[in-house]
Amino acid sequence: MSASNPIQQYASALTRRHFFGQGAFGLGAAALGSLLPSSIFTPGVALGNSVAAGGMRDLPHFAPTAKRAIYLHMNGGPSQMDLFDYKPKMADMFDVDLPESIRKGQRLTTMTSGQTRFPLAPSKFKFRQYGQQAAWISELLPYTARMADDLAIVKTVWTEAINHDPAVTYICTGNQLPGKASLGSWLSYGLGTMNANLPAFVVMTPSWSSKTDAQAIYNRLWGSGYLPTQHQGVALRSQGDPVLFLSNPPGVDAATRRRTLDRIARFNHRTLAEIGDPETQTRIDQYEMAFRMQTSVPELTNLADEPQHILDMYGPDALKPGTFAASCLLARRLAERDVRFVQIFHRGWDQHGNIAGDLPLQCQDVDQAAWALVQDLKQRGLLQDTLVIWGGEFGRTVYCQGGLTRENYGRDHHPRCFTMWMTGGGVRPGMTYGETDDFSYNIVDKPVHIHDLNATILHALGIDHTRLTFRAQGLDQRLTGVEEHHAVTDLLV
Amino acid sequence: MARRGTLLIASLSIAAVAFLATGSLPARAGAINFSRDVRPILSDKCFACHGPEAASRKAGFRLDERESAVGAAESGMTPITPGDPDASELIARITSEDESVRMPPTNSHKSLTPEEIETLRRWIAEGAEWQAHWSFTPPVKHDPPAVAHEHWPRETLDKFILARLEREQLAPAVEADRVTLLRRVTLDLTGLPPTPAEMDDFLADNRPDAYERAVDRLLASPRFGEHMARFWLDAARYGDTHGLHLDNYREMWPYRDWVVRAFNRNLPFNEFIVEQLAGDLLPSPTDEQLIATGFNRCHVSTNEGGVIPEEVYVTAVVDRVETFGTVMLGLTVGCTRCHDHKYDPLTQGDFYSLFAYFNSLDGNEMDGNREDPAPVIRAPLPEQTARLAELDQQIAAAETKLAADWPELDAQQADWERQFVSAVEPENVGGSGSPPEAVAANSKDYLAVSEWHWVGPFSDPERYLKSKKHGPEGAERIDLAEKFKLATGEEVGWVRKPEWVDGQVHNDLPGDPAANFLFRTITVGKPQDLEISLGSDDGIRVYLNNELLLQRDDSRSAAADQEKLVLKLKRGENRLLVKILNFAGQSGFYFAVKTDQPIMPPDVLAAASRHAAERSADDAKLVRQFFRNTAARSAALDQLRTELAAVRKERTDVDTAVATTLIFKEMATPKPSYILNRGEYDQHGAEVTRRTPTMLPPMEAAAPNNRLGLAQWLVSPANPLPARVAVNRFWQQFFGVGLVKTTNDFGAQGEAPSHPELLDWLAVDFMEHGWDVKRLVRELVVSAAYRQTSHVSPELYMRDPENRLLARGARFRLDAEMLRDQALYSSGLLVEKMGGPSVKPPQPAGLWEAVGYSGSNTVKFVADEGHEKVHRRTLYTFIKRTAPPPEMNTFDAPSRESCIVRRERTNTPLQALLLLNDPQYVEAARSLAERTMHEGGDSVEQRARFLFQTATCRQPRVDELSDLVAAYEQELEHFRANAKAAEELIASGSLKADEKLDRPELAAWTMAANVVLNLDEVVTRN
Repeated sequence: MSASNPIQQYASALTRRHFFGQGAFGLGAAALGSLLPSSIFTPGVALGNSVAAGGMRDLPHFAPTAKRAIYLHMNGGPSQMDLFDYKPKMADMFDVDLPESIRKGQRLTTMTSGQTRFPLAPSKFKFRQYGQQAAWISELLPYTARMADDLAIVKTVWTEAINHDPAVTYICTGNQLPGKASLGSWLSYGLGTMNANLPAFVVMTPSWSSKTDAQAIYNRLWGSGYLPTQHQGVALRSQGDPVLFLSNPPGVDAATRRRTLDRIARFNHRTLAEIGDPETQTRIDQYEMAFRMQTSVPELTNLADEPQHILDMYGPDALKPGTFAASCLLARRLAERDVRFVQIFHRGWDQHGNIAGDLPLQCQDVDQAAWALVQDLKQRGLLQDTLVIWGGEFGRTVYCQGGLTRENYGRDHHPRCFTMWMTGGGVRPGMTYGETDDFSYNIVDKPVHIHDLNATILHALGIDHTRLTFRAQGLDQRLTGVEEHHAVTDLLV
Repeated sequence: MARRGTLLIASLSIAAVAFLATGSLPARAGAINFSRDVRPILSDKCFACHGPEAASRKAGFRLDERESAVGAAESGMTPITPGDPDASELIARITSEDESVRMPPTNSHKSLTPEEIETLRRWIAEGAEWQAHWSFTPPVKHDPPAVAHEHWPRETLDKFILARLEREQLAPAVEADRVTLLRRVTLDLTGLPPTPAEMDDFLADNRPDAYERAVDRLLASPRFGEHMARFWLDAARYGDTHGLHLDNYREMWPYRDWVVRAFNRNLPFNEFIVEQLAGDLLPSPTDEQLIATGFNRCHVSTNEGGVIPEEVYVTAVVDRVETFGTVMLGLTVGCTRCHDHKYDPLTQGDFYSLFAYFNSLDGNEMDGNREDPAPVIRAPLPEQTARLAELDQQIAAAETKLAADWPELDAQQADWERQFVSAVEPENVGGSGSPPEAVAANSKDYLAVSEWHWVGPFSDPERYLKSKKHGPEGAERIDLAEKFKLATGEEVGWVRKPEWVDGQVHNDLPGDPAANFLFRTITVGKPQDLEISLGSDDGIRVYLNNELLLQRDDSRSAAADQEKLVLKLKRGENRLLVKILNFAGQSGFYFAVKTDQPIMPPDVLAAASRHAAERSADDAKLVRQFFRNTAARSAALDQLRTELAAVRKERTDVDTAVATTLIFKEMATPKPSYILNRGEYDQHGAEVTRRTPTMLPPMEAAAPNNRLGLAQWLVSPANPLPARVAVNRFWQQFFGVGLVKTTNDFGAQGEAPSHPELLDWLAVDFMEHGWDVKRLVRELVVSAAYRQTSHVSPELYMRDPENRLLARGARFRLDAEMLRDQALYSSGLLVEKMGGPSVKPPQPAGLWEAVGYSGSNTVKFVADEGHEKVHRRTLYTFIKRTAPPPEMNTFDAPSRESCIVRRERTNTPLQALLLLNDPQYVEAARSLAERTMHEGGDSVEQRARFLFQTATCRQPRVDELSDLVAAYEQELEHFRANAKAAEELIASGSLKADEKLDRPELAAWTMAANVVLNLDEVVTRN
């Protein structure tokens, strides 16, 4: 509960006490539900279009094109010129040194800054044009290619950070250093929740297939920073309880738990009557919501009601817990339940070497499932108000790191341009945005800084990124930092 | 997650909504006060363009300084005409209907409310007085205000609280009942609730100062330090991993224990600060003072492949400066990393001048993924120090015994010594360091081989190396005292090289190209042949008794058996000189003796060759030691040796287990500091020197201009900030909200204090009494303000929801650590061992793996086992910063990635799930149930009473008791019918349930305990 809203809390307490009368605690907490809008107490049912709980009073700032978002984060830095940023001229420049006129003294990570040569490594993968928009897409992403006309492909996202920890912290929280609020926590704080029985911000961390050590991720990527901690992302786990401590202890069934909660509520109502602290009322309510989550979460994660043709869409991993495919299917179920923001962190995209071996494995993990997610949302009428985003924290270099052959090579981190795609929720479908040079090294047209990207995501959700602020450390903090950045409205309808 | 539906606020009055919008401090009447009423408006709405930062200043005037504001702007207009709002352009602009001229401009997304405009108008009408920002002027100890209810105040601070309440026409609340009071103060001072016995004692204590006595008892408890340390460790951002990238283990807990000890021994707070900031610069610092400097090493660090060291360095130093600013000054100095401060008179130059105090760590800012990136210090635990001393004693005793007279062995030795009876002829002794003349004539089994001596390097081109003689080469005798002149003019002599043991390649000869000489003696009792093996990098010459035996000029790496030679040794001392020639690259040699004969050091041989009666005491010892170590045959001796070896091994083990901890140590020559344009590590601007911010009083001229000087400047009475900032944090701890709510920001954008005179009084009083923390804490908790009941009427709640006026006692949820500690303590599980390595109580599987780097040494969580580790106070729980323990994280404990001086207090369903279902809390419920059955008496009612009282510290009322009894009986019936469920429930946790207890009964009590441990009043400090 936000301490910044004490009057609202208190009003809530007073209202309930008015309903019950000072002495009528014998009603028990179960009866509480019947006095409130029924949807709030029906497990897994959304509050409905117009109702959101919590959130800022002045939000949305304007009519949103998306009510919710699903962010597929490809952690490690997918190689843009092997997937989307087609550079045919490179084919003739195998093992030629990257011209200094292109590199322009750009800083390099210390993994390759000591290299004596920067030999160009043309992509070994075949590209073709797809859809009405004739977007170039690599053979590694056949399913993504099929939905080319659903996507806005942005080839000119850029960042300043060149190493994983700062770069991923930057794109997820707007700052390279720990301590700031993540995108999802901003959305929870600003827009509130649309489902009283599920968290507003859910995170999944599925498995991955590349063979080399995967980069770390950090709880801070979905942390709330200076925002109150109820806005932090809640991990939906594939191991143990899907939400931490969701299950009753061994030997305690739902009826026993219900009796326990009724007893706790009885005592707590006495405390409330005696002392009058609204926090006590809040606690009574939170215990009730905990109980409802014990139903709504298992109902969410139980895939038994998914028909075979849907499972087939997501591919063979759809029922394997903890895979990217299973996570995408859950993301759709979360969107159906009006969960505001879902973020899936797929790791393993850091191909310093062995692109030929590892990149196809990574693509296999995500390609079909991401396609299925978009199609599934579309066929349910959810895509129109669900924003879907795909991409990593930076790109990779056109020059080779380590051994270079026609058949295999590695690539270092590259911050100056990388490719992401967006779809749904007001995104203009079927477009490719921005242009990079022949080396996929520099942006030549329409740069999109990661702050611009985040501003665009906020914009789709009805938020002016300059006006969603929180006073902390002497500043009106915001996701997009203190410098001027803009939502890329060209990407939106 | 939010709880409420929007419908519920419909019934609110308009007034309450307006109140909500204007912030949490109740409104005031009376004259306009610049600091309280005006500066916050100007700061928030105007300073960004008309404030301290020159670069972004518009229209040529600033509103943070009177002179500029009442003078002419660029346009010639006068922003403010004191006394005449209508002649003030400022009023014209903020009230304009024309959007294009109205201030603040639309693109700032700021606007003024009608109330704010009215405040500014009145302020100008009343003369537009400026005041320096309150926190930048020294605190003054005002006389406490007069109050009407003179009987209420107990402490001076109460008068300030009461005067304000009287002004607001509010009355303080009555004192809380004694049960509530003891629980409150016990939790606040120790982090644990009182035991029923402590409660009984207190209730039975009729002395008028019973409460003060209880407070003194609690202040003296070692739990006090454990509890107080937690708050500081949030600020100091202490963690058990590096926090970035691999997030490997960092051994830092001795610093955590230092903080606990510092609070327990009531280290004056000024010294507490000085030792942490600059303990290493104090004259002859103690180990404790060095451990304290870990404060400046607690920041997160990285060793990510590819990072740029300069960037890592800047990031680390910036963290130190920002933490210093937040914790010590209560200022957001981080803003000035990139530009001058927009709200406070701090410049970018100030930032990098502070940076210069913290930038010269004598070590690498990259952590190397090591647990002990230098500089570190060994920090043995008291028990380790004690054990090492014990073992040293045991070793000394055994050694004494080994060296003592031992008739049986001494007889054996006399027999053994007969082989060394006669004297060797005095030849070749010279100055070559040879043994004394007496060498055993018939000691044929022994070879006396001296250690190597070395001299070099004699540099020369390759062909001269091969052709010329150098240094000692060709001399009649070897004189180990002789000096040689090198081509460089440097003089060198022979150096002992005991580390060059035989049978290994030694590649540490200097010079390229160069020659080096090795020399040793071999002494034998009669002439004999001796086979040796040699290797060299590159060329080699071997001389025996001045005769050249071998010459090779190959270019090669040294290895065993490159050369084999048979030395024809004469009786007595033989001199072996080896010349190693290096033509290029590294240089080294190999040497080994091929013999089955025992090799005896010449000094032992020489001593043994004398008659026992003629030996010096040292020689006698030498011979006895050698004999007993090599030749003696005795079961008793063997046993003693075995014991000694075991003790030595334990000593090594204990010694190896001694922790290190990161400390700060200054480089010999400090690094230069530059203004970094836009805060970027590679954008050097002008070089700056160390100095304190100009807006604060200067450092004393005589003070050293280093971290020590900075720390002393910080705590000097002239500095207006640190005492206020510290006192405010303590206030926050005991009253829930600070007198300044923005604990981390005392600048213009921070909130003004609710009781400015009180804050000043406390700050000055704190300094006047030697920064005595226990005294201050005592003052706070014995005050009448602190003792009030927290009961609140709707009217009072609406008036002051955050309780800033303190017309009632504070009531808030327990912090994460206190919740778990209380559950363990009430259930009798808590292990109160203090200090030591952090522990890993169980947590759900997969939390670390979900985020960790595959190659990190903290990617896999392995829970500790055993009561001693699983049930420690939560202060000692291992904090992996990128995936903190859910018991902490869920209840607003920070991840310790950055400095935090105020925790949020949220109330969420995830907290409910954790308290209900976390196996650690279920185990606590079961253990509390066991206690209830063992200690609670025989009847269900007695037991229910015991259970309730143990958890809440109070007696249940009749209805509560009957509810609890009914709960137990209902669950008992349930578990009698579901025996398997009972078994499953009580099997929770790392300890086994008492087998003798009836299973369904224990299960039913466990569920009753689960209820009680989840009660609002139990999870709340009231």
